[in-house]
Amino acid sequence: MGNEDFRRELNNAIDNISGSPSHGLRDRVRSRLIETPSRGGPFWIAGVAAVTIAVLIVGILFVINPNRNNPIIGGVGQVSPSPSASPSATTSPSPSPSASPAASPTPAFTCANTAPITTQQPANPIAYVSALRTGAHAGYDRVTIEFSNGEPASIEVRPQAGTKFALGESGQTVTMAGKNGILVVIRGADAHTSYSGPRDLKTNYPRLVETRITEDFEGVVQLGLGINGPACYRFSVLTNPTRLVIDVQAP
Amino acid sequence: MQERPQTLARATEGDANSFATLLEPLLDPAYRLAAVMLDDRSAAEDAVQEASIKAWRKLRQLRGEVGSLRSWFLSIVANECRMARRQRWWSVVRLPDIRTAAEAGAMSDEPATDLKAALLRLSPDERLPLVLHFYLDLPLEEVARTLGVTTAAAKSRIYRAAKKLKSDLTLEEVF
Repeated sequence: MGNEDFRRELNNAIDNISGSPSHGLRDRVRSRLIETPSRGGPFWIAGVAAVTIAVLIVGILFVINPNRNNPIIGGVGQVSPSPSASPSATTSPSPSPSASPAASPTPAFTCANTAPITTQQPANPIAYVSALRTGAHAGYDRVTIEFSNGEPASIEVRPQAGTKFALGESGQTVTMAGKNGILVVIRGADAHTSYSGPRDLKTNYPRLVETRITEDFEGVVQLGLGINGPACYRFSVLTNPTRLVIDVQAP
Repeated sequence: MQERPQTLARATEGDANSFATLLEPLLDPAYRLAAVMLDDRSAAEDAVQEASIKAWRKLRQLRGEVGSLRSWFLSIVANECRMARRQRWWSVVRLPDIRTAAEAGAMSDEPATDLKAALLRLSPDERLPLVLHFYLDLPLEEVARTLGVTTAAAKSRIYRAAKKLKSDLTLEEVF
């Protein structure tokens, strides 16, 4: 059997298997094609829809992202774009501590008192201090007070000359290390339910030399910060976990 | 034929009628290919229809090359046949095709019947190059494009499948 014979026989076999397509196949295909939307329309629409949905999701996540480090409340004062940018942009007091709370993601340093700032969780009865940390960074020394059970009701930061602080309502005082101080008053919080760490942290950072819990009574926690230099600071409340961050401006 | 690029351009812009016009001459070979791969005429028509819709949706992938339309479409049909065979009920519920009297007569042609049985013993992917080369008489390059392989590989596949049908075939007899 030569090539032509083989080809003929194979084609006969294929004809035998397949027969002819039904007469309606052509019309069926055409009508299905006409019914089926062009790939350009749906894909284009799907693309736009996908982009829109993605933008919405990103926007929503950005707004509700608990990891976002934008301050809920913040310190105020002279403009200082970043903590390490200008240690010399120091001690110019702000005329109004409450003038621009939380306007900038990184609040500027100030050397003035802040009026008590109410956080966004007033309904929560008590926030528990769960950690107290300090650290030295370029241009600032940091105190971090971490909370469980939500945010405290309010936070007030008061710089002061000298480092003498009252120890609660006892009438006793304590003099901490450093030349000036910062008193931090946290209402709607306690530092004994979830916190069992040291209550007096002595450090030899450029500015922050001591951090001490000076009051922890009836839902009010006070901390004294001993500062070796001008008591200029900024603060923020961050979330996830909820924490109060106080930066003391350092050279 | 000179109108085909314009027809393809209209189809690419979303004109389904133009695309149907382009496909019309390809439906018969596509059906033959599907029928041999599936050994089921009704399923072959369904496969061709589904492949047509998929080709319509993927038309932009053709990038306006009318010359490759046939191999492109046949490769979609072959894929559709593979998918059809993978479907859960394929091997469970299949009714035999009803042959016409003329076809039944043709089946009594002994050599063709033997060859048909031998052809159906091959896997569908072995039948495919045989249909493309011997029945549709496609050039080797087009067979290769349809199979998605090189020309040499396509030649090898055709020869290997043909040898399974007729062991004493020489390369010269096949090509």
